[in-house]
This record gives sequence, C-alpha cells and structure tokens, in this order.
Amino acid sequence: MRSVAAGHLLLGDRCPFLRLAPRLRFLAILTAVASLGALTACGDAHRAAPALEVDDFGDTIRAGTRTNPARIASLNPATTELLFALGAGPRLVARTTWDVWPDAARAVADVGPGLRPNVEAVLARHPNLVVLYASAENRVAAEQLRAAGISVIALRTDKLADFVRTSRELGRAVGESASAATVIDTMQRTLAHVRAATLHLEHPTVFWHVWDSPIYTIGAGSFLDELLTIAGGTNIYADRTEPSPQVSLEDVIARDPRIILAGASGKSSLTSSPLWQGVRAVREHRVFVIDTNLVGRPSVRAGEAAASIARLLHPGIEL
Amino acid sequence: MRAALLWLGIALVVLALAIAAIAYGAVPLSAHAVIDAIGGRGDAVTVAIVRTLRLPRAVLALLVGAGLGMAGAALQGALRNALAEPYLLGVSGGAAVGAVAAVALGASGPLMLPLASFAGAALAIGVALGVARASGGRADPRVLLMAGVIVGAFANAAIMVMLSNAPPNAVRNALWWMMGSVADAGWVTVAWLAVYVALGGALLLWLAREIDILSLGEESAAALGVDAARSSRSIFLIAALLSAATVAAAGLVGFVGLVVPHLVRSVGVRRHRALIAGAALMGAGLVVAADLVARLARPPAELPLGAVTALLGVPFFLVQLRRLS
Repeated sequence: MRSVAAGHLLLGDRCPFLRLAPRLRFLAILTAVASLGALTACGDAHRAAPALEVDDFGDTIRAGTRTNPARIASLNPATTELLFALGAGPRLVARTTWDVWPDAARAVADVGPGLRPNVEAVLARHPNLVVLYASAENRVAAEQLRAAGISVIALRTDKLADFVRTSRELGRAVGESASAATVIDTMQRTLAHVRAATLHLEHPTVFWHVWDSPIYTIGAGSFLDELLTIAGGTNIYADRTEPSPQVSLEDVIARDPRIILAGASGKSSLTSSPLWQGVRAVREHRVFVIDTNLVGRPSVRAGEAAASIARLLHPGIEL
Repeated sequence: MRAALLWLGIALVVLALAIAAIAYGAVPLSAHAVIDAIGGRGDAVTVAIVRTLRLPRAVLALLVGAGLGMAGAALQGALRNALAEPYLLGVSGGAAVGAVAAVALGASGPLMLPLASFAGAALAIGVALGVARASGGRADPRVLLMAGVIVGAFANAAIMVMLSNAPPNAVRNALWWMMGSVADAGWVTVAWLAVYVALGGALLLWLAREIDILSLGEESAAALGVDAARSSRSIFLIAALLSAATVAAAGLVGFVGLVVPHLVRSVGVRRHRALIAGAALMGAGLVVAADLVARLARPPAELPLGAVTALLGVPFFLVQLRRLS
C-alpha cells in the first residue's frame, strides 16, 4: 500500500511535501509528523528500494538486511536457538545472558539482558544485524541501533505460529531460507505425529502450574496451551484468553483437574502444602514434573516438547 | 570569597562527572577515540556510542538532577518542612499511576509513557492543590503537605490494584519505569526537558525572595505583604510540574529532591536564590554520578538509577544529620 500511495503522489523524484505552497507545507509537515508512515514512504520511494515487509514492531525491514549479514546479534533465547538450527550459529557475535541452548551458544559473547539491552555493549560487537524480542520496552533500543546504522528485526516469539513466521523471516534475513523450510517442516511433522497419536485417546483435564503465590497458570493465549492440546490434554483454563492468567485455589479445586503439570520445584511446593491437599489430583498423587527448559519457549524443539507432555498424560503411548 | 571558591570547586566536580559520563561506559574507549567521536570522526560504532548514546544520556542525567534539586529546594522552603519533596507530595504517585495505566492498556511505547505519566502527575498535583484550596485557604502549608501525601497513598493503592491483575510483561515494564533510568535518552527528550528545567528554574529563582519570606512563617509573610497561601500554592505548582517533567523523561529517580537541598544547606547556604541554584548544580552532579555507577557497577547489565541515587545520597544525608544533632 505504501509504495503504491507514494508512487501515485510522487511527481518526478522529489518528496511531495516539499512541492507544496509554504502555508500548506506547514500543514503537510504536521501531518507527516503525526503519521511517520508517510515519511517512511517518502524516504523509501526516494531511494527506490521496495522494502515492504515489516517486523513485529511494524517497522520496515530494510533491503540491506537481506544481504547475508556476517555478524549477527541475537537478543532472545528463542531466536538464538533458531539461528543455530538454521546453521547461522557461527555468524553470531552477541547473545543475552539467558541464551544457553544449544551448548555452542555459550561460546558467543554475552552482552547482558535481552529486555532493555545495553545498546552500547551490543554496538561494541560490531553487528550488521540485530534480532530483538518485539516487546514494548525494546522499542527505544531498536531506534538507537537503527540510528547507529544497523539493521534491526524485532520479532515476537510467543506462539507456535510465531515460530513458523519467525523461522521464515530469519531464514530469509540471514540467507538460510532452505534450512528454515527444513526446520519448520521437521517441527510441524513431529507435532502432527504427536497430534495423530493422541487424537483418539481420552483427553484428561490438566491444570498447568506456573507459579504459587499468586497462582499463575496458562490460558488460551499461551503456546503451552497449544502444546498441551496437541499432546492430548485439556487445559482447565482454556476459557481464559490471557497467556498467563492469575487464578484462585478455590477455583482450581472447583474445576477438579485430573492431572497437574508443574516444574520440579513447583511440584515439591504443591505436594508439601496443606492448602493444595484440597485438590484431588494432589491428594491422589497425579502431579507430574515437566522439563521447563524443554517446554519453556516455542522453539525448534517444540515437537519434542509436545511428545514429552504426551508421555506424561498418556503413559505407554508409542511416539 | 571562600563560598565562591567552594562553589567553583563543586561546579568543577560536576563538570568532571559529566566528562566521565561521556568517557566511560559498558565499552572501554580511549580518550582519543572519544574526543574524535564527539567531533564525528573515526569509527562509526564509536561515533554512535558517544554521540547517540552517551552524550544525550549525560545531558539528560544533568537535567533530571537539576530539575529535582531545584524543585526540592523550593518546596522545602515554601512549605517550611524539611521532608517536603516532590515525590512525597503525590507527584511520583500520580506519575506512576499514569504510567502503569498506560502500560496496562498496552500503550507503553516511548511516546505514550512520558505523556501518560505527566498527565498522571498533573492530575495528582491538581487534586492536592484543590483540596488545600478548599480547606479555607488558610496559610497552613501542612494542609498542602497532607493533601499531597494522601493523594500519593491513594496512587500507590491504585498502582497495586492495577499491577496485581496485569500480565507479567506489563508488570515488568512498569517496574522498570518505576526504578528510573536515563538509558532511553534521545535528543528530543533532552530538548523538551531542557525547556522545562530552564523555564521552571527561572520562575523559581524569580520567586526565591518570596520563598525566603515564606520560610519565616505566615505572620512574618503577612507583615511583609505576601499572601502566604497563594504564594506557596503557586510555588508548589511550579515545582511539582518541573518534577513531573523529569519523571516523564526518566521515570522515578528518588531521593534527589529530598537530599540535595539539605546538602546545599549544610555548606551554609540560607537564601533561596543561592539555595535553588546550588541544588540545581548538586542535583545534576548526584544524578550523573549515580548513572555512572549504575552503568559501571556490573556491565553490561545496569543497576536501577532510582536506587543508586538513594544508595549514594543517603550516607551523605545521614552524616549531615549527625552533624546537626
């Protein structure tokens, strides 16, 4: 839409705002400031670079991003893991403190946090491309990096669909589109396999324990809910749309889940708490431990994660 | 003469701190490279680090400190209370409510957050002033203080209610904002805060004689022809708006408004014109120093600026308190 509108407005090679009468020009500049999109359209048309795709901040991904960057900074564990899977691991020059999978990631320079990253430390690694998590607090960092002339892609990595989109986008940005297609295909095939294996089994009701005080669980907005469904379970809080809703113990008791899934420390706190004895699944010892490192984020290993959940819910299942 | 030398010394220390803020950061750079980069020469990355990150950041820290210092000095004088400071009077609470509400509603971008926090602070200031005015207009600064503190308490409760139901992302974003930071500094923010600090500072300096009179007590003020109630309200308004602007630019940077005026008084300054000017200088120095510590303590991670100002300011303050008693 942008390039069409800009092309239509452009007479000759100049930006249309500069051709207006002075009084109108003032108005036009006001309008332009109000909608930065228009300014971008002007600049892009001027450079005649048809960069129409946008990242998850809605920012245009510049054409320069496509030129196979030699030095990549990935400030999100999910994208770091993905870049290694795409075969771009050797080109990584910066990661966050939390990017420790696969093991080879530990050898990449640690530049601190991935939310509100230290822009100075990132710049010092001389990246051509920085991959950020598209969260509101990273917006300023994206602007500061772009101001320093570096390509930035901000990507959301919250759901399984995001993973597919992110893989495709990153694959294209780092020149590994073929690997991206393989990675997506492998993950989707494993997921389809798990889904097919559990489809005709009875789906037990599940309470997914995230946090104790206050009690947080997973809602329909979480990719964990997607994994749970594929693994053949029914989330008792699938009616909540948020990714991680806060719930009350009374309500958990009332919904009477058949199975509780929790991390290792979560399980020990649930089983030792007298309050949680009110939940039948706790009394009857059906609290199972999930590998939080494996299921922690939508990643290359999402298929493996779904299979591990399916084995807990359906003992003896062949996968 | 001795006083002039002392202030020259303090000014030089602040200047040195500002230079250090540009020379030092998470990435070690040589003095030569930094000087070249300021002039726009040399390696593009170094130029970006110095010109788009460190320079606006150092200037923003100076402005935030100067604004909070002046606001604190004026409020403590006008309200005749050593504990009066912008944050105690509902400004921080109102600003935080605005910011948290914006975050909770999903409008947490770099444009909306400052606007929302300023609007929240302005609302809190308005309520506090309205209550003080409705109380009969008697020249009792305690009414204004009480109104501010109570508005602040209400704001805290509202923040807790909003955060208890907010998704983890929003809570994290709001907490970061409440801990204060000048990391997001850009020239646009610096420019508009500079306008606020210059205007607010000029107004407070212009009203400094009135603050001198107010600090003598309401009867002396009346005898000298000053309407104490009216005058303290307008000083409250200017100081509060000035601190609201700093909050919008850098989040909550606590303790500067409370501590800095006392530090200036401890070197013998009594008249408010000098007190406000001195508080601007020392406030600027304290926040730049705190930001330097925040950046260098454990790079590449940063400490929350609002906590570091208190960690640096409190020991000074306690030493001064001991000396007084």
